Amino acid sequence: MQFANLLVIRLIQTILVIWVVVSIVFVISRLIGNPETSLMPWDATNEDYERIREKLGLNDPMIVQYGRFLGDALQGDLGFSYHRTGPALDIVADKVLGTVKLTAAGLVVALGLGVPLGVFAALRRGSPLDWLARLVAVFGQATPSFWLGLMLIFFLATRVSWFPTAGAEGFRSLVLPAIALGLLSAAGFMRLTRSGMIDVMNTDFIRTARAKGLNERTVILRHGLRHALIPVMTILGIELGRLIAGSVIIEVVFSWPGIGRLMIESILQSDYPTVQAGLVVIAASITLGNLIVDMTYRVIDPRIRMAAL
Amino acid sequence: MSISASTDAAVAAANIESRRRWQISYRRRRYLLVAPPMLVMIAFVVFGIFADVIAPGDPGQTHLLSRLEAPVFSGGTSEFPLGTDHVGRDIWTRVVHGARVSLIVVAIVVPGAALFGTVIGMFAGWRGGIVGQLLMRYVDVQLALPAILFAVLLGAVLGASLRNVILILLVWTWTVYARLIRAEVLSLKEREFVLASLAAGGSNWWIMRKQLLPNVFNTIVVIMTLEIPIVIVAEASLSFLGVGAPVEQATWGRMITEARNYLTHAWWVMWMPGLALMLVALSGNLVGDWLRDLLDPRLRNLG
Repeated sequence: MQFANLLVIRLIQTILVIWVVVSIVFVISRLIGNPETSLMPWDATNEDYERIREKLGLNDPMIVQYGRFLGDALQGDLGFSYHRTGPALDIVADKVLGTVKLTAAGLVVALGLGVPLGVFAALRRGSPLDWLARLVAVFGQATPSFWLGLMLIFFLATRVSWFPTAGAEGFRSLVLPAIALGLLSAAGFMRLTRSGMIDVMNTDFIRTARAKGLNERTVILRHGLRHALIPVMTILGIELGRLIAGSVIIEVVFSWPGIGRLMIESILQSDYPTVQAGLVVIAASITLGNLIVDMTYRVIDPRIRMAAL
Repeated sequence: MSISASTDAAVAAANIESRRRWQISYRRRRYLLVAPPMLVMIAFVVFGIFADVIAPGDPGQTHLLSRLEAPVFSGGTSEFPLGTDHVGRDIWTRVVHGARVSLIVVAIVVPGAALFGTVIGMFAGWRGGIVGQLLMRYVDVQLALPAILFAVLLGAVLGASLRNVILILLVWTWTVYARLIRAEVLSLKEREFVLASLAAGGSNWWIMRKQLLPNVFNTIVVIMTLEIPIVIVAEASLSFLGVGAPVEQATWGRMITEARNYLTHAWWVMWMPGLALMLVALSGNLVGDWLRDLLDPRLRNLG
């Protein structure tokens, strides 16, 4: 199958994924939750409740509400926020940049630390460097991001004031959240790269590459790493999702203005339109990320045939 | 000529011998190194099971006259060995009972997710087809919807309960196994030894059991070990955000979140549950690492 055809199919699938996400959120928030109770003052009468239900269209049958919701969503209208002023999508869009910045910084920390450390650790197996790398990786893996964030705040923001404890002003305020967010993924990349490199360096084709006289650098980078990166690529999409999901808790720890913090606030306020808009944006970015990753590891490992979706 | 050949042989033999000896000592060293984290994990399990015996007090009991008391090694009294929190609850008792919550969650979520994810991943990778496609799209959906947001949404709508936390984590962690196992099977099924089995008339069931499963087993174990700390941390994160186990239950995540305001003048309130969480997650990783080296067949050939 042509690469382009495959891409189109996967794009359609991505849209379907987003539709399912929207539907799941609709079911959870509308079928199980009662958005109107969170909107009303404590002394509201039954008539008040009836009025607001009518106004929001919550009295219509679920299927009608769902149809209306999907129709609006197709036109880019995800409703107005219950608690803030303005369309939910605009409110979320305001926060996108904050989350993108944080996630990108986290990914830079994760890959920039994880892959090189993994390669070095695998090549110098059992050496002090290997132990150091694994120590860093194990600590990164073992430390919950919010706990790491709090420790960073404790040591670097309250004991010494090198970095601000919270907020988003300038590069310095990005450093601690990025480390807190990225270290877990860095540890995962490091472990996978290391175990992949160890496995691949024992294989026949590496022996062949060496036997035909390639220099060690080419053997490692072109033959070894390329192969060892397959599991890393596979997990990259998941890790990207984890980073975006992880940014939620990091945004709460560091009071970082992003989609995650907005959504946690909105969920606790039962502001469902904002929650839905936030989830659609997050789901879309993660599935697109997965799509790109999927396409890339098809290029790296030709054994996965194009037809095998 | 013959002398040099025999010297070469002798040198080679000596090299192999020293290498073998080094590898044995490496293995022995691993045993020694894995002992402390193994003990931590055993302690974690024992503390979790016998929480009521080890710390018989009520973890929710407040002592309003003994608020924010320092731990015994930092000038406190032995009445509260790890100090007290902002409402005078004994941190030792709460940390021990917090272990129980984490243990319950891990004991159910990790094996359950591994089993389910492996079955789905092998099926989707080997058979594929429309059902496999739909399953993998479903995995995409799950991965597209950050578990933590979904859990907070569900927790806010349903109310906090341990059962909901377990359910959410179970439903959400199996996808990692499914996706990785499928990717491995996709690659394996193009390999010669699998093609040969197919050509020789091996049944699907036989190939899955005898050729695919042993080849992905290593991956399953590695993911499971990666998942133990991840599940513990996920539970703590939910508690930290206030949508995990209910308020009256002492969990490490909730203890940490409640301690945030006392960061500067009562460090122990945050550090005790935090260190417990870190120690257990760290030990889980180290034990898993050791297990991985032990179970890796190629590594075993070397030894």
